Amino acid sequence: MTAPGYPAPKISLRHIGKEFTVRPTKENPQGSRLTALQDISLEVAAGEFLTLVGPSGSGKTTLLDILAGLTKPDNGQVLVDGKEVTGPGRDRAVVFQQYALFPWRTAAANVSFGLEGATGLDGRKLSRSQRAEKAREYLQLVGLAGFEERFPHELSGGMKQRVAIARSLAYEPDILLMDEPFAALDAQTREQLQDELLRIWRSTGKTIIFITHGIDEAVYLGQRVAVLSSRPGRLKQLVDIDLGDRDGDVDLRSGAAFVEHRHRVWSLLHEEVLRAQEAGHAKIQPDGSAPDETWDATPQTTHGKAA
Amino acid sequence: MATPTLTKTASSRSWKVGVGEFFGNCRGVTSCPTLSSLVQYPARKGRARRLGLGSNHPVPAPVGVRTRVPGTGGHQGILPPLHEVLNALGSLISKGQLQTHLAASLTRSASGFEIAVVTAVVLGLLVAWYRSLDRFLNPLLEVFRNTAALALLPVFTLLLGIGEISKISIVAYAAFFPVLLNTIAGVRTMDPLLIRAARSLGLSNFRLFQKVILPSAVPTIFTGIRMAGTSSILVLIAAEMVGAKAGLGYLIVNSQMSFLIPDMYAGILTVSLLGLLVNYLLVAVERHFSRWRTAVGSQSL
Repeated sequence: MTAPGYPAPKISLRHIGKEFTVRPTKENPQGSRLTALQDISLEVAAGEFLTLVGPSGSGKTTLLDILAGLTKPDNGQVLVDGKEVTGPGRDRAVVFQQYALFPWRTAAANVSFGLEGATGLDGRKLSRSQRAEKAREYLQLVGLAGFEERFPHELSGGMKQRVAIARSLAYEPDILLMDEPFAALDAQTREQLQDELLRIWRSTGKTIIFITHGIDEAVYLGQRVAVLSSRPGRLKQLVDIDLGDRDGDVDLRSGAAFVEHRHRVWSLLHEEVLRAQEAGHAKIQPDGSAPDETWDATPQTTHGKAA
Repeated sequence: MATPTLTKTASSRSWKVGVGEFFGNCRGVTSCPTLSSLVQYPARKGRARRLGLGSNHPVPAPVGVRTRVPGTGGHQGILPPLHEVLNALGSLISKGQLQTHLAASLTRSASGFEIAVVTAVVLGLLVAWYRSLDRFLNPLLEVFRNTAALALLPVFTLLLGIGEISKISIVAYAAFFPVLLNTIAGVRTMDPLLIRAARSLGLSNFRLFQKVILPSAVPTIFTGIRMAGTSSILVLIAAEMVGAKAGLGYLIVNSQMSFLIPDMYAGILTVSLLGLLVNYLLVAVERHFSRWRTAVGSQSL
């Protein structure tokens, strides 16, 4: 199942690096450059479910943005099916933590958003009724049949995320990029959606890259877990997960295999979390500011040593 | 009906002086309508009603002023009872005059309003989206925005003549800024995550505007459109008072000059009703486009 040595990986990251300019503040009038990602190389096989964990500020979301084509890397390149990614494309879909549903559209209209202007198998644009049919089909896949005409504000958090997943699946991308999609949900809903995601993954054969800060979630969902280091984010280790037979009603999370894998990922991550805390790392905002940053004059060298 | 002095005043001087004279004349007269008596305080309601019943004119609040001057007779012409105003309105309608004036005003304000909404929304979207355009245009826009539309009326008249074009232009000018500012605000306050989501679906800039930015800004834009609706009527009436041969503003000022006071009030009443109607229609359209918004105090999350 693992990617290395695979003849044609679905996604390959080659020496990805990304820097940010921290906006000048009173304490730091010149602003500074900080490295979010450094030399990340990774290959993902077609149909693989890869989870990505890392401490806060390790550049997980930045990496996902690069994969989605929303941000350009400063170094390296991303190949999908051997072709370089230069921007967003219909072969990849993103599911965001805050759902990102269009509040003026009903659930069905949200799902069919990506289908507007899309062409069907016969090369013609999908008609309104064809789009509605597809929306219904995918809402049913995520267990929301009958909620087609609801507006997002009429749905619960879990239901909103189901709609968002349906929207991403509806235009049939090969790759699903998920940025902490279940982080805002309550524990029960989260477990339920995790199982549904696995079911959908098995039935559709998508390649999934799933970012999370939950170790349990990473181990439970992923065939491999990629652990990122604290800033600058680098690939610390890839952990293969083998939980055996997933079918049946067995509580996998209490099994010995799960506990063992979980502990491995936890130890890897724990060192990085501590390091990140010492350095006071926080999320870099989209506008380039890092609210909790306490930079000295030579941030780069300090953190170079730390990592 | 009217006293000779007032007739003279109205016919020989401008209407503004006429109104001033009117208020001047009744200085010191207790039964005269003062500003405070124009507002019906709850405590005064009883008294007003009593007076109203006594003076044979059971009329609602705006004409309640009339009830403050019962029996004096001197101001009968200036503050005619409601039934006279309604009679005047009826005869204006039956002669087709009101329709002519209303049509003239509506054509002008609707044309100006439409031009303003289309250009302001387009420009607002561009200004909010392209920072460089904002930096370039902002000082200019601020100067124009803070110049009262009516102050520019002479300029518009000089440049575009006294015909329809100058009136439509000044309406467009007055309606332009509320829509522009609200469009900019609507785009600036939109959720950046929605733009990322749309971008990740590979939308072009034009589609992004059409399918994400515009719909998300619609409720805010409509606040501006409603303000523009009000100000387009307001400015038009004033413009018609200064130089026009038709329109509600002309009807009002011309009736006043000819001392057809009930006709004047009929014109004013039409303006109020028109304003209310326009606002009602815009609110209905706004509601239609903003159905998706969570109502304040609604049960849902």
